[in-house]
Amino acid sequence: MGPARSVSRAAVALFALVALSSSDLGHAETQSQEISALKAELAATKGELAKTQSALDALEAKVEALASNGAGAPAAAPPPGASDTARIAPVNADNPGISFVVDGQFGTNTQGEQGAGFLLGTGELFISAPIDPFLRGYASINGTTDQGFDVEEAALVTTALPWNLTVKGGRFFADFGRFPHWHDEALPFVNRPASIDKLIGGESQSEGVEVSWLAPMDQYLDVTVGVYNSMGAARFDDPGAFGTGKGQRSFSELSYLVHPTTYFDLTDTLNLELGGSYLAVPTGAKRGLYGVDATLRHQPGTSEFYQGTDVGVEWLWNSERFDGVAVASDPVTGEAIVGSGRFHRDGGYAYFESFFGRRFSVGGRFDYAENPFGDKDLQRTYSAFVTWKPSEFQRLRLQWDDVGIDGPNDQRFTLQWTAFIGSHSHGFAMR
Amino acid sequence: MALQCASRLVTFTLSLCLASAAPAALRVVASLPDVADMTRQIGGDRVDVTTIAEGSQDPHKVPVKPSFVTKLNRADALVVQGMGLEHAYLPALLEAARNPNIMPGAAAYIDASLYIQPLEVPQSMSRAQGELHALGNPHFNMDPAQGKLMARAIAEGLTRVDPDGAATYQAGLAKYEQLLDQKIAEWDQLAAPLRGLKIVSYHPDLIYLARHYGMELVGTIETKPGVPATPGHLEELIQLMKQQKVALVVREIAYELPLAQEVAERGGAKVVTVSSLTGGLPNSPTYVDFIDANLRALVAGAKAQSDSHG
Repeated sequence: MGPARSVSRAAVALFALVALSSSDLGHAETQSQEISALKAELAATKGELAKTQSALDALEAKVEALASNGAGAPAAAPPPGASDTARIAPVNADNPGISFVVDGQFGTNTQGEQGAGFLLGTGELFISAPIDPFLRGYASINGTTDQGFDVEEAALVTTALPWNLTVKGGRFFADFGRFPHWHDEALPFVNRPASIDKLIGGESQSEGVEVSWLAPMDQYLDVTVGVYNSMGAARFDDPGAFGTGKGQRSFSELSYLVHPTTYFDLTDTLNLELGGSYLAVPTGAKRGLYGVDATLRHQPGTSEFYQGTDVGVEWLWNSERFDGVAVASDPVTGEAIVGSGRFHRDGGYAYFESFFGRRFSVGGRFDYAENPFGDKDLQRTYSAFVTWKPSEFQRLRLQWDDVGIDGPNDQRFTLQWTAFIGSHSHGFAMR
Repeated sequence: MALQCASRLVTFTLSLCLASAAPAALRVVASLPDVADMTRQIGGDRVDVTTIAEGSQDPHKVPVKPSFVTKLNRADALVVQGMGLEHAYLPALLEAARNPNIMPGAAAYIDASLYIQPLEVPQSMSRAQGELHALGNPHFNMDPAQGKLMARAIAEGLTRVDPDGAATYQAGLAKYEQLLDQKIAEWDQLAAPLRGLKIVSYHPDLIYLARHYGMELVGTIETKPGVPATPGHLEELIQLMKQQKVALVVREIAYELPLAQEVAERGGAKVVTVSSLTGGLPNSPTYVDFIDANLRALVAGAKAQSDSHG
């Protein structure tokens, strides 16, 4: 019996007492009739109260049951993604940012193996994501018609070191110069300048570690130091050649880099970026590669037809000792004399690109390239290119190259069609 | 003489002490001029604000300059308009800035879009629909009613970063909200002729403004958001403008005028130049000036169109 029932009985008794005390004692007959009526009414009220009490008891029991164990509660609809037995996270919840670049080319030439042909310049799968609050990682897996599929970059980069330091480790494009560490599809040209191809060995691909430091002051100054097995995609040493399969060599046979860059806002719309790079392999002064680069940008930020111009120049000096290469010609027979020798070779390029409207740009480039060893085979290349972007994620580029080595110049035309699937950005380094 | 020197020395030392005792202003980098102005209005002398983008620039195409990296590196707080408007330049700058305190999600990353109810949130992110913003249309700053919500989020963010200045920021916010309320009442009267007006914009950035002042958006010169006009799209747009009797072609100052003029002329409308950011139009250095300049330009264009049609 609950407290509610006691309260109701007391209420009924009180009601009867009040009713009796209020009756008129002077009228006995009437009084008797009224008492009978009241008794009947009281009995009816008692019956109603009993029913109400019963209903209250039932409700009380249900509330107690719900409060204690939830029994009898209707089943809640499962949240999205939940099965009947467990709450399961989506399988792709931890997926990184993924993009794919398709860079197809069609080219013609007039010298050597003349003709026309199609080429997959780049098919690049790029993956990146934060790993934890202190580290991010990225990988670039690249395939081309010439080279097949390869892990171009796979690197870890710190994000929370003190003193403005960042450490990068793994396989990546070493921070040498300006365009040597740019991916092909990010270049303003169809192809990498021949001077970089010859003196760097393609992209500045390396396996090693880099530390970069941003000076804590208003003037922009970033200094990168690095140590690598070697630098240059075409110079990737066969790890097996060093005995252990892991690329070990003496410390003095590693490649060491220092690369400061700075930047000046000359006016509100004109700015200049300067960089200097030095890469050394200390053993017997095997290699010393110096580079300087300058980029002048006019960025008026207007909606006029002319929307700005970039002018860039980069020059490289390479002093390197090569073994087992042609170092001279026999004065009698004219045959190459194979041996060891040091070669001092130069190369570089200058280019401009002007932007018109929201989607067009035109540019020109001159490149001067020497072979890193043997005969110089000086190559001068004059290029002109026009780029049209139907949207932010698609680009068509036509480039003409006049390539002069020996004999008649080779006239090359290349049409490049590049598109970006997914969110693709190589970040600040390739701005 | 010795006494005079000693006195000067004491005065100099005291002034140095007082100077060092005064709290240094909070170094705030603002991604865009609208949030920069609001931060100054709210924070007053307590904040030292540097702006990355300029009002005349297309916020989708701001150059990534290394000089911004050093400012972000030394910033105590970063204020952004948010909802992805700065995606073209801010992530790259933040990556190079090495300041974990102002990274998205950190306490000193102040997102002015916090209280905005977004419009045009895409149901899918297919690029076949153009350059979409996953969180919705980010051009809410063009509507002054949304500006009040931006100011509130900024004041709360500044208080989070600099709790000692809470009273300053609350007072600054109250004063600024009062100003905006007063101006919004004036602008509602000023912009009454815009109600029911049919307009075409270059880029789909007027939806919040149009909703507030009762304008009807008929189309855009861009084929899709961020995708340039194609000849076929322009023909369809011009036919639509004639059918719908579009009054104005609204060209945002970061976009080309000649194409807007051609579309307006062929579609029987007037061209009006507005800005999507503070400072884009002449004499609009503050957010209030920016809204005022845009509305006056639209009203003048509507009047010119009305006059030309008798």
